[in-house]
Amino acid sequence: MVTRPAVEASGVSKRFGIREALRDVNFIARRGELHGLLGPNGAGKTTLMRVLLGLVRRDAGCVSLLGRNVDPGSAPLPDRVAALIDTPAFYPYLSGRANLELLARLDGESGGRAIRVDRALVQTGLAVQADDAVAGYSAGMRQRLGLAAALIRTPQLLFLDEPTSALDPAGARDVRALARRLADEGAAVVLSSHDMSEVEELCTMLTVINGGRVVFSGTVGELRMLAPAAVHTLRTSDDCTALRVAAERYAMKVTPIAGGGFEVSAAIEDLDAYVIGLGRAGVAVRHLERRTRSLESLFLELTGHADPESAMPAAAADEPLHESSVAS
Amino acid sequence: MSIRGSVAVAGVEWSKLFAQLKVRLALGACVAGPFAFAAAMRLQSSLPTDTLFGRWVTDSGFAVPLVVLGFAALWVFPVFASIVGGDVFSAEDRYGTWSAVLTRSRSRAEVFAGKVVTALAFSATAVAVMAVSSIAAGALIIGRQPLINLSGVLLRPEQAAVSVVLAWVSVLAPVFGFTALAVLISIVTRSSVAGDGLPVLAALTMQLLAFVDSPAITRPLLMTSAFDAWHGFMTEPPYFKPLLYGTTVSFLYAVGCLAVAYRLMLRRDVGR
Repeated sequence: MVTRPAVEASGVSKRFGIREALRDVNFIARRGELHGLLGPNGAGKTTLMRVLLGLVRRDAGCVSLLGRNVDPGSAPLPDRVAALIDTPAFYPYLSGRANLELLARLDGESGGRAIRVDRALVQTGLAVQADDAVAGYSAGMRQRLGLAAALIRTPQLLFLDEPTSALDPAGARDVRALARRLADEGAAVVLSSHDMSEVEELCTMLTVINGGRVVFSGTVGELRMLAPAAVHTLRTSDDCTALRVAAERYAMKVTPIAGGGFEVSAAIEDLDAYVIGLGRAGVAVRHLERRTRSLESLFLELTGHADPESAMPAAAADEPLHESSVAS
Repeated sequence: MSIRGSVAVAGVEWSKLFAQLKVRLALGACVAGPFAFAAAMRLQSSLPTDTLFGRWVTDSGFAVPLVVLGFAALWVFPVFASIVGGDVFSAEDRYGTWSAVLTRSRSRAEVFAGKVVTALAFSATAVAVMAVSSIAAGALIIGRQPLINLSGVLLRPEQAAVSVVLAWVSVLAPVFGFTALAVLISIVTRSSVAGDGLPVLAALTMQLLAFVDSPAITRPLLMTSAFDAWHGFMTEPPYFKPLLYGTTVSFLYAVGCLAVAYRLMLRRDVGR
């Protein structure tokens, strides 16, 4: 039997007045997968999550969560779908525990409610402050409480929007471990974050959004391979001649490195031609290595925020990246 | 939409209500106010003779709930309606909790129904508490003497009691109408200040229109007119036309306001 993805969204569009927040977005996240959602501020990540959850009505497209269609006007969110969106907010005059109990009552299941609330409080490190009024909670404690509110739904699909933004390093580590554990147990976790290292460390799949459009969707490895201008370090027997050959015959960016050698930013076919050209020019290649690029620099390129001095060709920043259009 | 889901939402809202100081204070005032009034009437020599039944307030304990009812119709009932009705939706905007509420296993329709039921139930509870309190205050502090009605007929204590209860029941319809108006304002403005204040302002405006020389046909269309419909129970013979008009007008206000509010609730975007 083929299991449907935990999240299936196709052709999702949303407009706020004249501003197009999402345009023809397709998104799929599977069970057991930690799926990163990346994009600069205002790219549409949170709006996409809100649309997927039915908090914001879509203008076009279809959304299904755990195999059930989402219609904000009629059906409730499917059971076992949970979310931590934005900075979580609660009733400040109630304790953390009372807030969770009320939310659990909204879910309707009475069996084991108190146990689930207690367990979520322990999992998020809030057991000690559980009976304090939320009005006195710090931003980090509210974020933990938001996570606890999601966990009491024993999620099979969990949306986390910047879940570690208000947490200290230890808290952030705990949240990452929790997200990974949930994914290992078979849940789909969709995580948006500005922290590239966090996404790189956690996520197996990535979707990059810019200007309301999906500009990349695939694995982290595929993203690296799809980089429009791979960077290689090159050392030759005659760097001066090699630089001159590059400048005269090939459209590529070559940057000398302190201590010898240089960086070459070029598509792989251009690099092949350049290396052959060096051989014809009597220059030996002594060292050629593809430099691992950080997800951050790739992200900046994809979203058109790259340093103008960087290696990315200008045209690539304007076009969405698809496997067929980018040299690997 | 399931009834079970709406009941679950109403239960949660009811728990939240009674965790709030303002709600407990309002209900406390409903209990204490009539007793304070009856005690003051008993102690002082002058009477509120410019109000209906004010001149009988020390002669019959049944006059006390009617004087309280006349005063509450002017000032208190619109406040009752707006305390919860004007805040039950906008409080989620104020606290930023819509995302938390709408990512549980309850549809928007169930959330709407649960909240509206809570607002209506609170308004009814507040009216009931004030009615019971004022009847008890009259009976305990003044006594259960016969009451002279508006036609000058002496009502036996049991007849007076029935008339007083009917008079209080008759104001439920306009109270529900104002609660529905407060719900609509709460949803439209997303502001508790507007939700609490504008229904009271609307009631005052309607009362002003009733006092000025407005066309006679418009007066029955004012929801506040229904607050005076109980005068018909206190005449000989009684007349019920204002009650019928008032209840119908209040019902139309309530249905209209709730229909618009429901539509807005289903269509609203939470967060942008």
